[in-house]
Amino acid sequence: MTNINGKAYAMNAITPMKPWKTPILKLIFFILGAWKAKQKDLKNLSFIHFARWVCIRRTEFPRLSDQQPAEDLRYDYLLFFSNFNGTWNQYIDAFSAVLYQGLDLIWRWSERYPGSRPVTGFKRYISLVQFDTDYYYNVYPYSATNDVKAALRVRDALERFAGTSQSLSTAEFEKAWLEFQIAVAPDLGSTGIAPVGT
Amino acid sequence: MGNVSGNTYGLTILSPIIEDNSLEICHSMELRWYLSRLPRDQGSPFAQLSSTYLARLVVMDDVVFVGLPACEEHLKSRYLVFETNFDGDLDTYLRRMATETREFVDAVWGHCAGFPGTGDVGAFVSYMKKCQVETTFFFADVNDGSVESTLEALRTQSELAHFMEKHQGTPAAELQREFGRFLERLRKTPSLPRGGDGSQDIPQERRPHD
Repeated sequence: MTNINGKAYAMNAITPMKPWKTPILKLIFFILGAWKAKQKDLKNLSFIHFARWVCIRRTEFPRLSDQQPAEDLRYDYLLFFSNFNGTWNQYIDAFSAVLYQGLDLIWRWSERYPGSRPVTGFKRYISLVQFDTDYYYNVYPYSATNDVKAALRVRDALERFAGTSQSLSTAEFEKAWLEFQIAVAPDLGSTGIAPVGT
Repeated sequence: MGNVSGNTYGLTILSPIIEDNSLEICHSMELRWYLSRLPRDQGSPFAQLSSTYLARLVVMDDVVFVGLPACEEHLKSRYLVFETNFDGDLDTYLRRMATETREFVDAVWGHCAGFPGTGDVGAFVSYMKKCQVETTFFFADVNDGSVESTLEALRTQSELAHFMEKHQGTPAAELQREFGRFLERLRKTPSLPRGGDGSQDIPQERRPHD
């Protein structure tokens, strides 16, 4: 399935918005971008490598030649692209359970948005507005977001340990090695293919 | 700027696909066929573009009608959506696309209106920027490194786990010597292949315990 590469799933969604609502949503995103603490829940979920929202005005669809017909649209559109780990159902369930306020703040400006709770109506809406990926590349297909974060912690810890352990006596090294192992053990889970899911 | 988070750039491109009713197979279908056969592992053109984390290409056929009382409307062109996340700056990335993955770029964007080809790199960069839409909000969970440093960290994690497993119960003096050798080996070990090796095996379990 081309929406999936290794442990990552590529989601694409497009929703129509009345043009007068677009500046409001842009303002919300501006505040969200400036107020880093508000992104904490998204970071804590820790299964999204990258995600983006793009507000595209009805007059802003690129027109590159005179042969290309000009678009004539009544709605602006909100595009959403996400690169997440896990299955589609897990993703939507987690969003609905943890980030429902944030989701509603973003998508309430889109036409016919039912709200993120109850999740059944929300899933039906996402299914309607989602479109499939034709080609998906992932530089680390065996690694989830948590694997990447863990690997970065391990590398930093090893660099520190390597720097301080060189001058230690054997007895000191033995003690320091044990402490080092205990410190990095939680981050040494093996990476690999993802479990099968829906 | 919405396109940037830390060191990471989130590029979104919408390129209109050529509509030509005289063709037996339309451009969007040709494009889908090409993309379906393109390698997704270390043979991918994005593996050559070494600063790419994740990238996708999508043929967007139309907008979505969400039901009454919303209005139904349609696009007059199909669009190729190119969504990519990379470390570094936009101009360098686009120039590398045109010079290092020329065949791929010509094969894909050759189906798009106004594409000038890759012969003139400046014209290609300018074309892609005309197709770019500004990202309104970009989230990157890890945004302060690079692709290379991330792959190096993943390799380090894997190698260290293997070393620890192998040296459980090794006397301290020998362990200290082996650890020094391990660090030397680690510096010489190449990074993980970009895009994976195409197998479905788990790398650590494929390696014999020496």
